[in-house]
Amino acid sequence: MNRTQRIILYLLILIAGASWIALSAETGEATATGPAPQAGFLAPDFTLQTEAGETYTLSDLKGQAVLVNMWATWCPPCKAEMPAIEKMYNEYKDQGFTVLAVNNTFQDDPFNISPFAENYGLTFPILLDQTGEVSRNYQIHSLPSSFFINRHGIITEVIIGGPMSEALLRTRIEEALK
Amino acid sequence: MLETFQNLFAPPRHMILLVIAAWLGLTLAERRTEKFGVSKDDLNNVSFYSLIAFVIGGRISYVLQNISAFSKSPLGIISINPDLFDPIGALAAALIVLFAYSQRKQLSVWSVLDALTLFFAILAIGLGLSHLAAGTAFGLPTDLPWGINLWNETRHPTQLYDAIASSLILILLWRFKPNPHPGITFLTFGALTALSQLFLQAFRADYTVIFNGLRQEQILAWFALLACFSLLEIRIRSANKT
Repeated sequence: MNRTQRIILYLLILIAGASWIALSAETGEATATGPAPQAGFLAPDFTLQTEAGETYTLSDLKGQAVLVNMWATWCPPCKAEMPAIEKMYNEYKDQGFTVLAVNNTFQDDPFNISPFAENYGLTFPILLDQTGEVSRNYQIHSLPSSFFINRHGIITEVIIGGPMSEALLRTRIEEALK
Repeated sequence: MLETFQNLFAPPRHMILLVIAAWLGLTLAERRTEKFGVSKDDLNNVSFYSLIAFVIGGRISYVLQNISAFSKSPLGIISINPDLFDPIGALAAALIVLFAYSQRKQLSVWSVLDALTLFFAILAIGLGLSHLAAGTAFGLPTDLPWGINLWNETRHPTQLYDAIASSLILILLWRFKPNPHPGITFLTFGALTALSQLFLQAFRADYTVIFNGLRQEQILAWFALLACFSLLEIRIRSANKT
């Protein structure tokens, strides 16, 4: 293939590529509308209770940035990240940030939850997923799993595994608060 | 079958697929490296140093972009969280080291990139499969019979499209005799990858619109294609002169 033929081929491919870009252009939202446990989607809603019987519904927290943290008392990285989560909760709660720590109670010993929270001085709500429904809806395969949700209820980031460092929490919380 | 695969390699285990792809890619690249005038030792050394630069560069770039967060929590700079990572900064750092190593060893950068092309091609397949395992890089909803159920919809299996396109590019590169002119093999791979991305990004649901509904990822792929064609022409001309 000589130079002229090559350049004609390049141009044809580039013109076809540009046409394809124009043809596949869309307007509107880039992300899906239905709920799913993935960044860019509406966070699946849930209603759970604390040990004291207080009820929390995720959708009631619209307007706030929320960290949904799935954890269990027997999980070492869950334990390791709790002090950082508590610290960030106290630092950002006045800016409209909250934490819902969802304990996988169906895989945990419920008698360990209160001593755990006291031991780590946790002040954010600890919710009990006794049936495993929330864990299933959020397709949890590993603990801890954390979902950062913005003020519109959209998941901005999913972090699987841990422990999360303060710096990681800070960057993701500030993103969710925007 | 998809569900078994996704359960087996659910995040964070999906990273294993990338590690396997990197290992396989380097093994295959090593087999052909001497055809490009790069010794096995040089290939292994440049891969090793570039990998270190990739990891450190990705973290440094991320820290620089989020300096206020790290100034309040400086220990976070050395934390083991893989999410504190900027892939663009990582790539830039790896390329800088690759250039520096090639200069120091008086190797042609194009020859080193040619020798590493099989590695990049296999890594691209691994990337597609790791996206499939993690459910990221997901496609638009579809009624097509090969759609996969993901995030509560039947969607284009864009991760599989990527893996198939990368496999075809790999087969093409493997079947053809290594081009003796430095840069041609790598730039051919670059052009084919950019072209496949330009086409396949149209089926992705996680795109970014820049203006008039145009997708940023496709525009970037188009410019990458233009750059590859321009460099290919320059390399072919310089090869013809010699």
